[in-house]
Amino acid sequence: MAEGFRLRVRFQKVGRLRYLSHLELIRACERAVRRSGLPYAVSQGFTPRMRASFGPALPVGTAGEREYLDLLLTRFIPVDEALAALSRASAPDLSSRQCGYVSSKEPSLAAALTIATYDVRMERRAPQEEVEQAVRLLLDTGTMRVEHKGKPKVFDLSQTLPKEPEIVSDADATTIRMAVRMGDAGSLRPDAFVGAALGLNIRTLVTRTGLFSEDAEGWHEPL
Amino acid sequence: MTDLWGKIEPLLARVERPSRYVDHEWNAVANSAADYRVALMYPDTYEVGMANQALQILAERVRALDGCAVERVYVPWPDMASAMRAADVPLFTLESCMPLAECDLIGITLAYELTYTNICEALDLARIPLHAERRRDTDPLVIGGGPCAHNPEPVAPFFDAILIGDGEEALPEIVAAHRAARIGGLNRAELLRSLAGIEGVYVPALYAPDESGALVARGGAPARVRRRILRDLDSMRSPVCPVVPYADVVHDRVTIEVLRGCSRGCRFCQAGMVYRPVRERRADSVVRDALASLACTGYEEVSLTSLSTADHSQLEDILRRLSRRLEGTAVAVSVPSLRVDSFTLAIARLLGEGRKSGLTFAPEAGSQRLRDAINKNITEEELLTTVRSAFEAGWRRVKLYFMIGLPTETDEDVAAIGALVARVHAAARESTPPPERGGIRIGVSVSTFVPKAHTPFQWEGQIPPSEVKRRQHILREAMPHRGVDLSWHDADVSFLEAVLARGDRSVAAAIEAAWGEGAVFDAWTEHFSLARWRVAFERTGLDPEQRASEPFAFDTPLPWAHIDSGISESFLRAESDLARKGVTTPDCTFDACTGCGVCGACDADVVVQAEGGRRG
Repeated sequence: MAEGFRLRVRFQKVGRLRYLSHLELIRACERAVRRSGLPYAVSQGFTPRMRASFGPALPVGTAGEREYLDLLLTRFIPVDEALAALSRASAPDLSSRQCGYVSSKEPSLAAALTIATYDVRMERRAPQEEVEQAVRLLLDTGTMRVEHKGKPKVFDLSQTLPKEPEIVSDADATTIRMAVRMGDAGSLRPDAFVGAALGLNIRTLVTRTGLFSEDAEGWHEPL
Repeated sequence: MTDLWGKIEPLLARVERPSRYVDHEWNAVANSAADYRVALMYPDTYEVGMANQALQILAERVRALDGCAVERVYVPWPDMASAMRAADVPLFTLESCMPLAECDLIGITLAYELTYTNICEALDLARIPLHAERRRDTDPLVIGGGPCAHNPEPVAPFFDAILIGDGEEALPEIVAAHRAARIGGLNRAELLRSLAGIEGVYVPALYAPDESGALVARGGAPARVRRRILRDLDSMRSPVCPVVPYADVVHDRVTIEVLRGCSRGCRFCQAGMVYRPVRERRADSVVRDALASLACTGYEEVSLTSLSTADHSQLEDILRRLSRRLEGTAVAVSVPSLRVDSFTLAIARLLGEGRKSGLTFAPEAGSQRLRDAINKNITEEELLTTVRSAFEAGWRRVKLYFMIGLPTETDEDVAAIGALVARVHAAARESTPPPERGGIRIGVSVSTFVPKAHTPFQWEGQIPPSEVKRRQHILREAMPHRGVDLSWHDADVSFLEAVLARGDRSVAAAIEAAWGEGAVFDAWTEHFSLARWRVAFERTGLDPEQRASEPFAFDTPLPWAHIDSGISESFLRAESDLARKGVTTPDCTFDACTGCGVCGACDADVVVQAEGGRRG
């Protein structure tokens, strides 16, 4: 992105709107931008489009609490004003939570973000030790095979899971908190991991809780 | 009212496109305080139904009524329908996620014959008796309306009442009558009689056939139900804040109706007869509503819709003002299929300024003789001039609509479609700089003529599917290949359309039987099965070949004889004769009155906004 003001927006995709697909989400956000009245930039060419780019896709059914998009503006708008305009124009379950300008030289969200954290909430409370053991057992095998669209994919778990999954329970349900490293060859779906550890017929609700870039100093939120 | 979300959410992980079922779109309003609920249903999927402008217009009208809420309903895809049946979840509305059966009134749009089995499916999922006669006082009122209501008989037993014509004023009157009936403690039979007193409302239970087969009114219902007409279209605002879907729906854009009706007089066209007279909205209203709706929805495209948008006497003015206001926003202005004789270079340039959407023209027939017989009133030179204008203005694709099986059509007429397309392609090449010629695409879509009620061709039969296939073969042989994308309608689908479009009340049993055999979503290629319908026809003793292809005699009552579109029968007969003679009839918005009778019968007038009138 060049020539213009690159506004980074943190938003959420929660509640019923967790059932949107990535394409539906993109369209919904672009329409919110148009409703907001912000001076968005438009690409050149036969079919000009709004210049907006998004972080890694969320699957249908997965919620996101801290998602990001970059929007190119033709004029500088103070961040509070931009946030207020976007909030007014967004459905509550898809609302913008924070805005900030970033340098046009920074890499795209899709390229920069390599770590995602998830909460995988099971339907009910499960005995802590059993869940821990099952997760341990799977981690100890070192790799996990997943079929994706008929093609087998093998994940090296020590590389894919940069942190030990954490198991927490509240009164109603047990949640597995995990971090996944996203790669060019695809990312491990957290529900697939939990399914492999605990049984494939288990019903879970997945929420992506954060997205980070990583360097020698650690993990960084994009805003 | 019951909230079903807790039962629905667990089903969503296992169905296709769950966003169809979740509501919570921008501009969707749940009104929990209302004491009267109108559910508006398009009997197909969310993606198809959300595009329906009529339901958006009616939703606005109902929402404006005191204490009334509007709920949207679509038919769940078979995966969801099975999941709902397995989990014992009834059909639900989107806004309040409540059982459809708890609504007070269900309005179902009759937009296409091949959605009829979906009406059975929806009422069954909703646990509402399919037959109006079996509904009790506590059941919702089930009302139909829309273009197919002009022959209501095939679905008549499923409806308490069917509105013929414009709904803007009639639907609020129906709601008021229903509320008054409740206050007055009327039973269902009394309620139905009171509805029959509303102009345009047909109550099927009050009509029974006499020995000649003609439907005769009883219980004080009118002998013929006259179509309802909104006299002043411009007095109603176009829906400014329609619900903005998340899912990728068809026609996903702002739609502004710029005019209603068309009196070009194409003799096969039902819409061109039953939406008369022409009523234009003012340019000021169109521009105001288009801009307001773009702001309220965030859409990237606004479509100026009508049966013949290029005929609007102020279209250039509208396009000029919109393109000025939308400069630099990447918002496109589009128009549906255009008349080639009203498409000017100025319009081409104005439409091409923003994002270019498709251009569609409908010559309908390949030869001048047949175009004259169907009263298309355009010449080949007009078509070629228009194509040149479009390609000179930067377009690289156009789409052309044709029809086969029209009355008087010969093999030469069919082959002439291919020859005409070849000349269109050549004209497009001439008007395109050589380096860009590789990108030229001519889309050719060929449908099969289905004789429709209230048209000059209403007495005609359809050619049989085997003959359709033979003519499609001629067409394929005659069609140039380079730069042309040819598609045609399935012959069996058109055949079923004709059976249903020409049906009388006996066809309802076949529709119900077909649904019983598993027919749903007949409009979807992957679900269409003529075999299922054949079983249903056999079981109900209906001869579909006869129903589709046998002409109606002038002296026997037509299945829709009790529906009065306002067009006089003598006009339709005269037009039918002129078709045989190949004589054309002009358009009364450009020339003198042609005597169709609608203005006198319905106390309405043609409304053209530009001071000088329309320019032919």
